[in-house]
Amino acid sequence: MIHRVIHRELRRMVLQPRYLIILTLGAIFSFIFFATLTNEGQPQNLPVAVVDLDGTYLSRRLCHELDATHAVHVKAVYTSHTEARQAMQRGEVFAFYEIPKGTYNEVLQFRSPHFVLYTNQAYLLAGSLSYRELATMGKLAAGAVQREVLRKKGVEEHLIMGLIQPVVLQNHAVGNAKANYQVYLMTTLIPGIIALMSMLHTAYVIGRERQERTVRSWMRKAGDNPLRAFLGKMFPYTFHYTFLLLVAEIVMYGPMHFPMSGSWPLLVLTSLLLVMAAQCAGCFLMGCISDPSLALSLTSAYGTLAFTMCGFSFPVDAMPLPMQCFSLLFPLRYYFLAMRDITLFGNGLAVCWPQVTSLVAFWILLLIGASMFNRQYERRIAC
Amino acid sequence: MLKLLSSNLHDIWDVLSSEVRRVFSDKTTLVIFFLATLVYPPLYYYIYHLEALHEMPVATVDLSHTEASKRFVHKLDATPELAVAYRCATLSDAEQLLANHTVKAVFLLPHDYGTLLALNQTAQVTCFSDISSFLYYKNALLGGSNVLLDEMHAIELVHQSSDGITGELAEVQVQPIAYDDIKLFNPTGGYASYFIPAILLLVVHQTLFFGICVLCGDANENRRALKLIPARLRGRSIYRVSLGRLLCFLLIYYPVSLFDLWIMPRLLGLPQLGSAVDIVLFLLPFILATTCFAMSFGVLFSRQRMSTLLCCLFFSVILFFLSGLVWPQGSMPRFWLAFSYLFPSTPGIEGFVRISSMGASLGQVRSEYLALWVQAGAYFAITCGGLHLTRWLKR
Repeated sequence: MIHRVIHRELRRMVLQPRYLIILTLGAIFSFIFFATLTNEGQPQNLPVAVVDLDGTYLSRRLCHELDATHAVHVKAVYTSHTEARQAMQRGEVFAFYEIPKGTYNEVLQFRSPHFVLYTNQAYLLAGSLSYRELATMGKLAAGAVQREVLRKKGVEEHLIMGLIQPVVLQNHAVGNAKANYQVYLMTTLIPGIIALMSMLHTAYVIGRERQERTVRSWMRKAGDNPLRAFLGKMFPYTFHYTFLLLVAEIVMYGPMHFPMSGSWPLLVLTSLLLVMAAQCAGCFLMGCISDPSLALSLTSAYGTLAFTMCGFSFPVDAMPLPMQCFSLLFPLRYYFLAMRDITLFGNGLAVCWPQVTSLVAFWILLLIGASMFNRQYERRIAC
Repeated sequence: MLKLLSSNLHDIWDVLSSEVRRVFSDKTTLVIFFLATLVYPPLYYYIYHLEALHEMPVATVDLSHTEASKRFVHKLDATPELAVAYRCATLSDAEQLLANHTVKAVFLLPHDYGTLLALNQTAQVTCFSDISSFLYYKNALLGGSNVLLDEMHAIELVHQSSDGITGELAEVQVQPIAYDDIKLFNPTGGYASYFIPAILLLVVHQTLFFGICVLCGDANENRRALKLIPARLRGRSIYRVSLGRLLCFLLIYYPVSLFDLWIMPRLLGLPQLGSAVDIVLFLLPFILATTCFAMSFGVLFSRQRMSTLLCCLFFSVILFFLSGLVWPQGSMPRFWLAFSYLFPSTPGIEGFVRISSMGASLGQVRSEYLALWVQAGAYFAITCGGLHLTRWLKR
């Protein structure tokens, strides 16, 4: 019986392929957008400035050395603090060093001068990255002076490093050794976008039946079984969007060399469950609210929140408790947790079974949505 | 002359009043225009209001068991970013905790840590961190390097004193050049202060866009596109129709946007350095540009009530990244930078964040301000062209 509904939906799909094509192109566009926007891994050559009030060999050398690094480039050298701050407010630089007057003299006289490092934290990523680079440079400058002093004192070369840098901190980001921003963004955003599309599209095709007043013929094909009707309607889109998601994942973890230390079958399963859970949420909202366009706008509101509530940018454990509970209502949250386990930590089903079962639990929404829809439908028939 | 003017104004008034009636009789548009703009800002604020992650649980593996290594662990625990939740005996225990997500980072102090320090050689501390959210990674890095700096300073002072150098002289030798760092515009590096101004602007942009597209789609779907043009205006200049509708949305949305972008941040206690006059002046071309952009898109592409929401919602994510708040505009490929200026949200977010969070004056966001006016003009022309096209096709 269900194949009749699927067949009917496929016919409708072929007769009116406009939105399927647009959304598929949209998914491809998003993929290319994020792949090309962030292909450097981390932003490079961030503009910074130096306020050189000293104007000596030392300050000029610092400028040169800053400019030679990969992450920042010295866009301008100013002669006053105000100029630099205004440049920052115009968005031209993300950070600047202020080298006070008489720095070189103070170094020669052994009187530890103070640099001041200003960073713009209104841009969190660019601000932190330029802070890191400039702070390192400040430490290196101090180290260079220390090394000269030690050399002059006659300390042997191989002992100097231990004296000026007694401890180093090595950082390993598990699974993403280079702290590649692209990996971090794309592995969550692309599945998020595809899940959003599948949710909206499923909700839309159900709403469309109401708008076109074709609910009766749809239900007949399903033998007046609302669950069968909904499943038959969903499946073509489940297939389509899971396929899109899998292609995206194959490209990401294959040719683009994103870290993938776990099992592929598990990732495929999670992807399929994500698409289905998103669709079930769409079916639920469309089933409960009788005005299709109102339902679609509420689905949209819920769908966009998923990007925040999945906790990939701002972790859920840093949110207030009610919001931590609220995050349980978003399929993308579970996908994000499972994907992190599979790709970064190489964990198997033993660790991520709660996420997988939670995604399956979204099918309950489909049952509720279908029965609500059916109740409204029967009431209308009775009228 | 006067007669012409008054007839023009009369026509515009007609369009305006019929459009206002349409907005207030459409449930979906009302939800998008008023409910979304009222609910989203406090919701986002509530999500982010704790600003940062404090006392993130970490595990330490101290294989050295010396005074120096214990001090390092104590100092890690004392940072506001980190809390030492587990002290493991072996690295594999700690790795297990990391893989279970019980801790978000592991600090390993190797067995030769104390020995190397005693021999005046460089010892190494290794940090393994969870990078599933960048905030975990950043916290581990920040806490770890703060402890590192402090420890280095202390150890070097000990070295100096063993050479018989103490007091101020030792300080200078250890730190021949010092630096203070000052974090401007968001001193705690918090998320709410960074994220919310941009999100508020994007909410205004997207709700206005989708609201208008729903109305346009409705008109197109029900073949009422021509009904938008009052009967007696059909033969005449179409700019009056566009202008009337533009004024209608400006009248409705200018107050909404002022509420969301000027009053709401104050109610929520977000930092707002810009002057009220600058914000009010900046929002005018932003609303005009967004309205014209939405009207031209709606006239040309919105075939059904629901189609724009269906097809363009995912673009909100892309618009956010195009704004340059996450990925700086200077590091974007040229093509995407040019592409981003097709949308009013790009100069809107860039300009608004600078005025609101960074206290820039209108003069300092001149290029964004001009870009918005240019967009408003260009999209107004496209809207008129689109309406001409519709009228021509319908004939």
